[in-house]
Amino acid sequence: MRARQPRSEATRRKIVDAAVELFNDVGYANTGLGDIVERAGLTKGALYHHFSSKEALAVAIIEEGSAILFRTFVGVCRSSAPALECMIHGVLVCVNMADSDKLVRMGTVLLRTFAKFTEVSTLNYRAWVVEMGKQARRAQAEGDMRNDIDAEQAGEFIVGAMLGTELIANAVHGGYDIVGRVTATWQLMLPAIASEQSLEYLREFVARESLRFGHESQA
Amino acid sequence: MTDPADRRADSARGPLVRAAAQQFAHKPYALVNLDDVVAAVEISRGAMYFHFPSKQALATAVIEEACAEGREAAAGILANKLSGIETLIDLSYLVAVSELGDDLVRAGLYLLESIGRADGLEVARFGEAIDGLTQIAKRAIREGDIAEDRDPHDIARVLVSTYMGARHTSDLDDPQQFLLDLEKTWMLLLPGFANPERVGYLSQFIRRRTTVASGKVSSPRPKS
Repeated sequence: MRARQPRSEATRRKIVDAAVELFNDVGYANTGLGDIVERAGLTKGALYHHFSSKEALAVAIIEEGSAILFRTFVGVCRSSAPALECMIHGVLVCVNMADSDKLVRMGTVLLRTFAKFTEVSTLNYRAWVVEMGKQARRAQAEGDMRNDIDAEQAGEFIVGAMLGTELIANAVHGGYDIVGRVTATWQLMLPAIASEQSLEYLREFVARESLRFGHESQA
Repeated sequence: MTDPADRRADSARGPLVRAAAQQFAHKPYALVNLDDVVAAVEISRGAMYFHFPSKQALATAVIEEACAEGREAAAGILANKLSGIETLIDLSYLVAVSELGDDLVRAGLYLLESIGRADGLEVARFGEAIDGLTQIAKRAIREGDIAEDRDPHDIARVLVSTYMGARHTSDLDDPQQFLLDLEKTWMLLLPGFANPERVGYLSQFIRRRTTVASGKVSSPRPKS
């Protein structure tokens, strides 16, 4: 990545934060560049120095938000836990983060809006599918995932199921109880992907996660 | 700006601590010869004294470095946001896997026991660890995994004590055995403070951690 001057970086930060707040409050479509400049307390010139358009700003928010989420997921996967636990837990930590971190949340909202129109979303989804497939392969080696399924396909299936769950939770239920819906999806998927010996333990693992993250998001 | 000579001197510090850790991890403090440390880094004794005026100073640096590494790794585990009790279990496996594969951590813990006693470092560093674990144990009580009437500080103290004891009763040079002994320690401790209905799940959680950790450490080190 290009090295940025500290002051210039601070200005960029101000612009992105102001944009996140405004997109959040009044929506992406209703926000003008003038509003962002005003909220950030800067000049239009300063904004144009960093971003050529509102779309460029949206792409930057998507990039930053998805990078944070992906890094978080990979961080969980690098922990000392078995892979299938990492997959379940990592997704829930990300769900929780999208719920509590404004920039991350706006990143996921914009990602949906701009999907297919920007390369960022393709790259982002592909990275998730690859990482999930990698974890699925490890889960097979550890005996938690059935060996008669294709790990890469399982990874893609899980990413799709999670994205779909999030989409429906937001579109149909206004984002209510997203933790409950994500864990319910895991409970439905487990009998299909988990090995017989691990199934019962993993069910309990998911039930515990559901309780704990459910409390956290209500608190 | 630092001038080149300073930077060169600076760069010897890290390697010196690493080389010292290698010695302190496998020999008692008194038997470590500083000539071996200096030889490994290929600098003169004088250059070493520039950084560390004594063996004690070098050992203290190993302790501090190991503690810094430990803090960073612990922060990583905490960032994983597992439940309190699962975090406590993961931390114990983290320390075990670290010192089974990394001389710095192993040397740090040995030295903390031997030279740390004199200058209060031992009390300070173990106190820090116990305070941190107490907070996590409190969370585990709120989450219902640890019985309500248990004292979180006592639990933290017992966990640190049993781990440090196991380092002596088990064999760090036989990683697989050490991990099995750590698992057995947990299995014996768990019913003492865990909520009875959670013991079944947590026992499985621990066994699964042993399996993953076993895959990460090497087979027994040949005795010299």
